[in-house]
Amino acid sequence: MKRNILLYTLLIVCIICGTNAYSQERNIIVNGRVIDKDTKQGVPGVSVVLQATNKGLTQTNGDGKFSASVPVGGTLLFKFLGYNTASAKITDQTNITVTISEDRKDLSEVIIVAYQNRPKETTAGSVTVLTGKDVSDIPVSNIETLLQGKVPGLNIQNNTGAPGFRGSVQVRGLSSLSISGSGNDSFLQPTSPLYIIDGVPLDADKAAEFGFQTQGPGVSPLSLIPQEDIENIQILKDAQATSMYGSRGAYGVIIITTKRGNSKIPRIKYVSNFFVNAPPKLRETLGGNSERSLKIQQIILNAQNIDQIRRISNTPFLADSLNAYWNNSTDWQDVFYQTTYNQSHNLALDGGDQKFNYKANMGYYAEKGVIKNTGYNRYNLNMNMEFKPNDKFRFFGFVNGSVGKQNKGNGAGLLQSGVASNGQASTLLPPPSFYQASGGVLSALQTLNDNNSRNLRTNIDARYEFIPGLAASSTLSYDYTSDTETTFTPAVANGQFAKLYDYAGRNFQLYNRNSITYAKTLGEKHNFFVNTFNEIYKQGSQATITQQERIPNDQLQGPVGYDGFYSRGGGVLSNYRNATIASFAGSLSYDYDKKYVAEFSYRLDGTSSSGLENPYSKNSSVGLRWNFNKENWLVDKKWLDYGSLRLTWGQNIAPTGNLQSIYGIYNLNGNFNNTQTIGINYDLIPNPALKPTTTSQYNLGFDLGFFNRFSIVFDTYFKKVDNLLFDRFLSNTTGFSRLASNDLGIANYGSEISLNIKAITSKDFDLSFSVNGAYNRDVLLKLPEEYNGQYIRFDGSAYLQHIVYRVGRNTLSNYLRINQGVYANDSDVPTDPVTGKRYQTNGTFFNAGDPRLKDVNGDYILDGRDYEVTGNSQPLFTGGLSFTMRYKNWGLNVYASYTADRTILNNALADRIAIMRDPYALNAVVPLNDLNIWMKPGDDAKYPYPYDYSRYGAVQPLRADQTLWQESGSYLKINNLTLSYMFDKKLIRRFGLANLRIFGSTNNLITFSKYSGPNPENVTTLGRDISNGYPVPRTYNIGLNLELNTGN
Amino acid sequence: MIRFRNIKTNTRMKPIINKYFVVVLLAALALSGCKKIFDLPSEKDYLSNNVNFSNKILEPIIGRTNLIGGFNSDNSTNPITFEIVNARFGDGKPVTDLFTTAPTYVWTAPYTGLEKSLAEIEAKRKIETHQIFEMRSSGEFILWPSATNQILKPRPTDSTNLSQDTRFFDVKVKNTGGERLIRDFQIRPYRERPYEPSNDFNAFTGLPAPDPKFPLDKKLRDYIRPYLNNVIGATSNLNLVSNNDKKDAIVYIRPLTSGGNGHTLRIVVLGKDSLPIDPKKFNETVWAKMIHGFNMQMTDKYVQYDVAYPIPLVEIPTSYATGGSRAKVELSYSRLGFGGGRTVANFGIDFAIYKAGDWEIVFYFKTENPKFANE
Repeated sequence: MKRNILLYTLLIVCIICGTNAYSQERNIIVNGRVIDKDTKQGVPGVSVVLQATNKGLTQTNGDGKFSASVPVGGTLLFKFLGYNTASAKITDQTNITVTISEDRKDLSEVIIVAYQNRPKETTAGSVTVLTGKDVSDIPVSNIETLLQGKVPGLNIQNNTGAPGFRGSVQVRGLSSLSISGSGNDSFLQPTSPLYIIDGVPLDADKAAEFGFQTQGPGVSPLSLIPQEDIENIQILKDAQATSMYGSRGAYGVIIITTKRGNSKIPRIKYVSNFFVNAPPKLRETLGGNSERSLKIQQIILNAQNIDQIRRISNTPFLADSLNAYWNNSTDWQDVFYQTTYNQSHNLALDGGDQKFNYKANMGYYAEKGVIKNTGYNRYNLNMNMEFKPNDKFRFFGFVNGSVGKQNKGNGAGLLQSGVASNGQASTLLPPPSFYQASGGVLSALQTLNDNNSRNLRTNIDARYEFIPGLAASSTLSYDYTSDTETTFTPAVANGQFAKLYDYAGRNFQLYNRNSITYAKTLGEKHNFFVNTFNEIYKQGSQATITQQERIPNDQLQGPVGYDGFYSRGGGVLSNYRNATIASFAGSLSYDYDKKYVAEFSYRLDGTSSSGLENPYSKNSSVGLRWNFNKENWLVDKKWLDYGSLRLTWGQNIAPTGNLQSIYGIYNLNGNFNNTQTIGINYDLIPNPALKPTTTSQYNLGFDLGFFNRFSIVFDTYFKKVDNLLFDRFLSNTTGFSRLASNDLGIANYGSEISLNIKAITSKDFDLSFSVNGAYNRDVLLKLPEEYNGQYIRFDGSAYLQHIVYRVGRNTLSNYLRINQGVYANDSDVPTDPVTGKRYQTNGTFFNAGDPRLKDVNGDYILDGRDYEVTGNSQPLFTGGLSFTMRYKNWGLNVYASYTADRTILNNALADRIAIMRDPYALNAVVPLNDLNIWMKPGDDAKYPYPYDYSRYGAVQPLRADQTLWQESGSYLKINNLTLSYMFDKKLIRRFGLANLRIFGSTNNLITFSKYSGPNPENVTTLGRDISNGYPVPRTYNIGLNLELNTGN
Repeated sequence: MIRFRNIKTNTRMKPIINKYFVVVLLAALALSGCKKIFDLPSEKDYLSNNVNFSNKILEPIIGRTNLIGGFNSDNSTNPITFEIVNARFGDGKPVTDLFTTAPTYVWTAPYTGLEKSLAEIEAKRKIETHQIFEMRSSGEFILWPSATNQILKPRPTDSTNLSQDTRFFDVKVKNTGGERLIRDFQIRPYRERPYEPSNDFNAFTGLPAPDPKFPLDKKLRDYIRPYLNNVIGATSNLNLVSNNDKKDAIVYIRPLTSGGNGHTLRIVVLGKDSLPIDPKKFNETVWAKMIHGFNMQMTDKYVQYDVAYPIPLVEIPTSYATGGSRAKVELSYSRLGFGGGRTVANFGIDFAIYKAGDWEIVFYFKTENPKFANE
């Protein structure tokens, strides 16, 4: 533990330069070599420091060798970033070999807190750190995919396979109840954590303003970060850690640090991946004549009158089986889904030392979607440079340029409704060709969709230390994104007239931060650290669309707007933004001998989108930490590596409103006295007293490491989100219909545990496991008074899957009809004792084979009053497992993640069975043998009889709003499996290589689940498995890491 | 923070034990239902502030099954219980007759119209004793058919709605989330109408209804009228009609005076001389499938069935009551028309009888008999 103090002293507190020359001592020349404990290879670039003077003598060369003049009796320290510092006392030997080992000890890590590097043992927040290794070897378009299951409390659901899009990310449960859209399109407003990339904040939710109906390219800013360029990722979960990031940190903070140059000799590293994306198992379909005979059989066996049977003769595709047009067996899903072959390449060049280093990273990633005509390509060029001539001055700058090109086909990216509906077409139809296909097919396959997101991010950062301990630093960054989308639909796919859609958007963020820090140690043991800074954001975004419904021909694809009659859209979209945020923050940390730590922070955020009466949001936090392993009664326990207790409280206050909710909406209201009048929109009353959302969180944490093998991190928390935005409906006497109010509150509480075991560590064989899990429960705390504790968000779509908010219950519950099975016989249908009528719906009595839906109110009529609160769309347990093994040069990694106790609505199955509802329609038919369906009286079945097409409309046995489709969404997924081989360095040196590693990996390998649908993860955040979603492919990859031997 | 200090001081004193204490404390904190610690609201049933009834004036007809809905729970959580409280007349006199108990039929299995015997029908219902007026869990009011004019005094015969003649009551709506009292319901029952159509008597007084054409002429009265198709008068050779102007045929639905067994329905056709016409003359009539009755007896004066009352038993479409709410009696006969073609005539009535007993349906050809002879 003393080493930590040393490190701390070295890194944070200014080094007190001893200038005394030990001239009276005898110097000898020491030659030596520094080797890595694991690989037994020389480590280049290690700083060799004389302990007495704390002065760097030299650095090791490419072989790890060094030569220095050292006074006899002096001690040499060998320091290298990411390694434990080793020491060697020089007596008389002139040739030494020093072994240094990678620093894997949790608590000696340096983490970034409020933009400052701090030793982890003196911070109280709940922080998890991942390294670049955790997100390597699996090519993905968005690195979030790979964080799944690696951090307890960070719930990532990779719920879309659409290339370039994001899944859902939540830190410690729900923070918003804002839902837009209806039915399958219901979209829970994402509350993604704040991402900070190399000190510059980034808004990950940027592309999600429009829910599923993405306007513009929809490329997530995170999809523009190449995974190969990531050094480490740090996840801040509790409010004490995030409060210094202000309102934008309310949903957690994820800090990504990209790689720095760190090699005396330039290094050239190349990573390449070739990967295959395979669509998941698709819906089974009966083809050709089987389809026809099934339909005819269905019609005859279930006909209620002769006309229904006669109608067969009038339905050409059933009757005219010899007609070539109706005599096919087309696999429509195959028309839309494909297995794709993709590649990614990344070339990194870095070099330099601690005084000056540089890095350039070039990346190319190309992924074709498993749905045809979709895909994502990324091009990157990232460069950074750090100049640190001495300990007083540091300068860092980066320029990142990236282009994301996305192809969404004719869908909206996340949803591919066109493909979903055309995939259900009858197999009897001829396969697509230019002349013989439905417009939908051509639309899906021939729509030219060109999306570009071009991003340029630049940053400079300088730090100067005036006197030891007192430093000022300043950061200035500019981030600019230009988004364009052009969609051209050819005439054959759009009713004989070509169509053109054009989107152009731009986004910028100018960001400045100035900080002053002061570190001071009083009386050896009292350490103070003061950090104050201010931040200014200037953000803007504006997007416009132009749409031409009809253009003259397929050849003329622009300019648009030649004809006013067919012009649609235009104008500025509602994501217009012009905002300024100014913040001031300060924190004080105190520790007594690194044993007792106390931290206090306070931050003020002023934004232009807060209500006039609450322009500043105030974020404060307190953190306490007790490193009990440093207590006298434990300090001599060898088995205990570290142990600490943490207790924090913090608050994040984020403005929720927008300018409209504060100031109202004003419209042009026609003329009065020949003068244009402007009046208020009476839908929404302005609320200048709108309060910001307040997230306050308590966290109690516990860290323990023992026997150098086991480490446990446990956190338990209570998070309360108050003043959430919620509409109140006003009495019509007010003249307005809605008021944006703050009377919604939710709480999340839970615990997180992570356990790491290094089972075996030896020269040839390493074995380690880790398990983590998080339990989170959310509770609705309050609703506006007049709701009396319940609000139902009625679903206006045909699915009728309502969502209910009830105080005291989990916040997002379903409001559905309760399915209790299937009536085996007619006599099982209950009879109204008063009227003698059987249980009925829509004027039709239930029969055997119909679903047994609970008559909640007891009137023997199933109607809109027979709904009950049921289920919870949010998972209670999430977590992951990992297993890492190395045997000699072979490595094996397995990552798994799990989600348990959540309710999924299997709408895909409901839709699939419901294909059978109309045998006269030109739809495919699906085999239902795998399902427990009622077929004859007496059957004790799970699913109702779907073939009774005459009564289908009235009874709706497969209605989506029943608990029949509610299933457990628990799953265990083997995310990744990576097998790698590292070539022997001596061998490959002959070929001019310093490093060569090949690996095979898979992503989304297998999911274990009782869920009856294809994938329990591929569901929306509201737990709906929608049949028009984008399936998550399985990826098989072969990759290569290569480093050129540029030394010597 | 206080807890933090406590641990510290404790642990200093007994190092090893107290390390476990810390672990136990953490485990306890994690596992104990956190709801208590955090003072979270507990879930309770929802009872909307807007629960109401769409209609607070109930006008049931005594003697039949009256199921009156109109409760709007506004998505309040079921089960909801309803209680009728504070039943009183408008002048404050307490109301008790509403809560008289009486045996009544309760269905236990669905009536289908396919039952083969009276016993099979009776097996599907049983007699239970209920308050004649009660509410069930759906918020529907039930006035059971066991209510009679004697038990429950109907609304005044002069058709006034004076407060002192009107029964008022309140309804207490309750679930575990709370309760609401909905005040001032009124119940104004109509006197029994044992059969339909009932245009032959006045709904308020029960006395014969006046002729709709001459309401002030006390000598005339209104009759139930059958439908007639292609029924030709025996003497006039004209189509017989029954409407407001001309009543060649009328219908009586009336208790059977003799020959019944307590659950009998008899169908009689009277000629203009008030003597029965032999039912066999209605040669095209499907007697066996006309009424859901059993043990059909056909004499030369009438046709009689053993039936279960009410008719129809349940208001669902069956072959006996295609619309559900009315059973049908249809008599038809054929004869040779002009040119030797066979011509079919029929007449009948859609009816319902609510009160159990012995009933007869009488078709009375007042002016002339139907013509059975061939042309």
